[in-house]
Amino acid sequence: MKGFEFFEPTTLAEASQLFAQEHTQLLAGGTDLVIGMKALTEAPQSVISLQKIPGLAGVTTEADGSISVGAMTKVREVELSADVQKHHTALAEGAAEIGSIQIRNLATIGGNIAHASPAADTVAGLLVADAQVDIASADGERSVSIDELFTGPGQTVLTPGEIIIRFRLPSPASGSHYIKHKIREVMDLAFIGVAAAVNLDNGTITDARIGLAAVAPTPIRATEAENLLRGNELTSELLQQAGEAAAAASSPISDLRCSAEHRREMVDVLTRRTLQGAVARA
Amino acid sequence: MSEYTVVGQTVARVDAVEKVTGAAQYGADVHPAGMLYGKIVRSKHAHANILSIDTSEAEKLPGVRAIITQDDVPSGRRVFATDKVLYLGEPLAAVAATDPDIAEEAAELIKIEYEVLPVVQDVMEAIKVSAPRLQSDAAKDGPNRREISAQIRKLTRDKENDHSDEISKLEAALEEYPDEVYYNISAESHSEAGDVEKGFAESDVVVEDTYVIPRVHQTYMEPHVSVASADSSGKVTVWASTQGPFAIRSGIAGTLGIPLTQINVIGTTMGGGFGGRFGVIITHVPAVLLSQKTGRPVRVQMTREEEFIDGRPAPGCVIKIKTGATNDGQILAREALAFWDSGSVSGASIGSTIRVRGVYKIPNLKVDAYGVHTNKSGTAAYRAPGAPQAIFAGESQLDEIAERIGMDPVKFRLMNMREEGDPVPAGANEPKVGYKETLEAVADAAGWWDREAGENQGWGVAVGDWTNGCGPGGVYVSVHEDGSARIFHGSMDITGTDTMISQITAEILTIPYESVTIRRGDTDSAPYSTGSGGSVVTFTMGNTAKLAAEDAHRRILELASERLNTNVDNLELKDGAVHVVSADPPKSISLGELAAYSLSTTGGPIVGKGSFARQASTPALAAQIAKVEVDPDTGRTRVLKLVASQDVGYAINPMAVEGQIEGGTVQGYAWAMMEEMQYGENGNINPGFVDYRVPTSADLPTVESVIVEVPAPNGPYGAKGVGEPPITPTLATMANAVKDAIGVRVTELPIKPEKVVEALKSNGHGT
Repeated sequence: MKGFEFFEPTTLAEASQLFAQEHTQLLAGGTDLVIGMKALTEAPQSVISLQKIPGLAGVTTEADGSISVGAMTKVREVELSADVQKHHTALAEGAAEIGSIQIRNLATIGGNIAHASPAADTVAGLLVADAQVDIASADGERSVSIDELFTGPGQTVLTPGEIIIRFRLPSPASGSHYIKHKIREVMDLAFIGVAAAVNLDNGTITDARIGLAAVAPTPIRATEAENLLRGNELTSELLQQAGEAAAAASSPISDLRCSAEHRREMVDVLTRRTLQGAVARA
Repeated sequence: MSEYTVVGQTVARVDAVEKVTGAAQYGADVHPAGMLYGKIVRSKHAHANILSIDTSEAEKLPGVRAIITQDDVPSGRRVFATDKVLYLGEPLAAVAATDPDIAEEAAELIKIEYEVLPVVQDVMEAIKVSAPRLQSDAAKDGPNRREISAQIRKLTRDKENDHSDEISKLEAALEEYPDEVYYNISAESHSEAGDVEKGFAESDVVVEDTYVIPRVHQTYMEPHVSVASADSSGKVTVWASTQGPFAIRSGIAGTLGIPLTQINVIGTTMGGGFGGRFGVIITHVPAVLLSQKTGRPVRVQMTREEEFIDGRPAPGCVIKIKTGATNDGQILAREALAFWDSGSVSGASIGSTIRVRGVYKIPNLKVDAYGVHTNKSGTAAYRAPGAPQAIFAGESQLDEIAERIGMDPVKFRLMNMREEGDPVPAGANEPKVGYKETLEAVADAAGWWDREAGENQGWGVAVGDWTNGCGPGGVYVSVHEDGSARIFHGSMDITGTDTMISQITAEILTIPYESVTIRRGDTDSAPYSTGSGGSVVTFTMGNTAKLAAEDAHRRILELASERLNTNVDNLELKDGAVHVVSADPPKSISLGELAAYSLSTTGGPIVGKGSFARQASTPALAAQIAKVEVDPDTGRTRVLKLVASQDVGYAINPMAVEGQIEGGTVQGYAWAMMEEMQYGENGNINPGFVDYRVPTSADLPTVESVIVEVPAPNGPYGAKGVGEPPITPTLATMANAVKDAIGVRVTELPIKPEKVVEALKSNGHGT
């Protein structure tokens, strides 16, 4: 690990000013950053901890039923939150897939998203929750939709000094489900991840959202498949069409974990399964 | 009931408290004053000529105390590459600095000019004429060409008769096998018994397959580490995390030309070894060289990434295998041709290919094996080296045969298993081994005979054989005035062997296990001991400790005879005291009293000596059954049941034995289902635990272990080595279970989801 300066600001404004400088990194849980620094793939001159800034952690349910998840909320807390489990099951299931319990007690949901790995386990759940990402900087706050946050692997729309502070999860879907394709039961990286969320009215799908991780340079929504589902009942034929449409929406790569072809096939399989799961929970 | 009171019992390990509390001192805990940090400078290319090595910039970095290359190896023995590198990560130089970060920075500052050469990573490519030659231009003939060439040589030698017609015919026949000239061959091994062609001709069913087994790493928890300290007199002390301190001592002496007794190797508590912790050059020699140059202690410690790119893992291999049997289930012939990926050096357990013969009466057997150079690091032992690979091929194909002839896989194996006195193909006659007992035990325990399988579920069985090694060892046992005993020896504790040695000593001296303590010496103080590998310790050190305790026992009776004024024939050592047999009233003297008395005798204190080197070992069998469920859409396999039995001879510490059975089985499971070192154009591409997957406890159920005891004539209390056998059948057990579940065989390990999906597609699933 290379030497670095360490800052522990107590306000967002201070943190944002520091983070606006070049060669800086934010420290949230540190579960990605510290590994990167040890491997020398990250060599920041300054590390800015967010841990002393009050008000960035915690899951809050608002009067209208929407849920706010602070960026510094530990992944383990997201996983175990009764409200997240009930209204955004796919997000809780995704959180439960990250690393080990020890890692989840350190890692934050903000870090998991800001790291912008296309394979992040909480991202598909946030996509199907239609999450809004609140961002703070010295100039104030702004908000972007989660599906507009990512621009490439490790890349986001965040500008220097901007810090993710919370995720707002509006209008809960009535059922959602996340499945990760992996080899090892726990502590594996996603070969792919699929989340589906549906709203049902008397058996008819009034809204459907499908989020795909690790099948494109950024996490994506399978909008074609979603459109097929809206206004229809989930028949086996429709399920098959949705799976195929989601697979067609993906543009995976081949790497040491598996081939692009396998990833695309698994998008098909897991889209069908997560949809069935989401409908069963709705 | 057992006639013994301490052996045969589960007792707490002697090192339990220090391990659990963290008090145990591992290699990285050693930190002599003034210690420097070493770092190996490694090749960034898998195959390249080295044009120049420029250390000048690195030398200027404050805190750098020494930089060494091959020029600094006085003996000239190869420690660092000079003109050519053969794999990514091959050592080129080493740095010692006051701080690990400085050492790392200095390593990066050393400028190395490479001329990159073509790379070959796949054994089947490496043997081709088109492959780059890694070590030499030598070409080897394959089995058919070898046979024909031998005939030609024989006829040519016969000068008295004219064989020119015959010779030209044979030369023409050679042309039929152009693909049988193999290149990049590092070693070869051939064995034959009977006539395989005849055996195949007489068979009703002949099956031929090719099995591919990946290179896997031993993944011990503790990476290689050594701390070396050379003093001004030339004396070298090395704290080494190793399975064999005496082997490291002679290795350093041989490599660097230092007199043997000028080197003291202190073995530190081992964070796992599995056969991979015997290497001398890997960290120990660079540490010694750096210490000699700086005059300060130096630690060289590998990172996990370095372990993957420059460890000495288990070789992968490709095995073409053919088996013939009759319709009523008699195996008549088996032939195997194996190519072992030995990496940049020779070796790679190619001799273990013979294990395709299994424990079966195969009258006709032919085995040809080749070690093949590739642009990878060399390999070393990993738990029953070579056996899991060969047995995977052999036991997988047995199931294919059983299926063709419609026979139950367990019955088919039982029917063909060798019995006492049967000839072993290309070996000596079979001793008494519990082959059938072990297989029957696992079948009964697993519920094989009335097994049920739901949709996409399957059952698999396989057996694997292995024979423990044997080596020299020495043990002293002293008895103290408080009646306790102390063992002194030099073998590294591996998987509880110190506990086993203590149990045997307590048993012979008839004292409680708690009254025995054990102390390991370094190579300066302890008697010679063989390395703790090859399942050798229980057999060797168990026998040695028994001899030492028996020697002490003799002295005890001698002392008691003086003290109690009676002939030794009238004396018996029991419950920690010597009793006069049938004395009325009872007459006895305690061990403590005898030890105190001994201090003022001419004969002196009670010190038993045991020294042992060679005795014939007896094979052991591991038999396993798995039940799995495969998800046909995702290709993921879940283990529902895994039962492992083993003929251990005699279980000196049953819980420790079960631990070995479970550990070996889990490592075999991992090799079958997820572990593989992957190689790209420029070397290993998964050098870490993110993409090199070792299983967690969430991946499989508790392994149910079943202990079978058919005593080994020369083992202590009949015990055999137990560490290695349990890994040998698991690869095939898992593959056979997956085959049973999905109806199609995956012949290339690991059985990853993608391969299962592909196999099912080839079989018509999903179309």
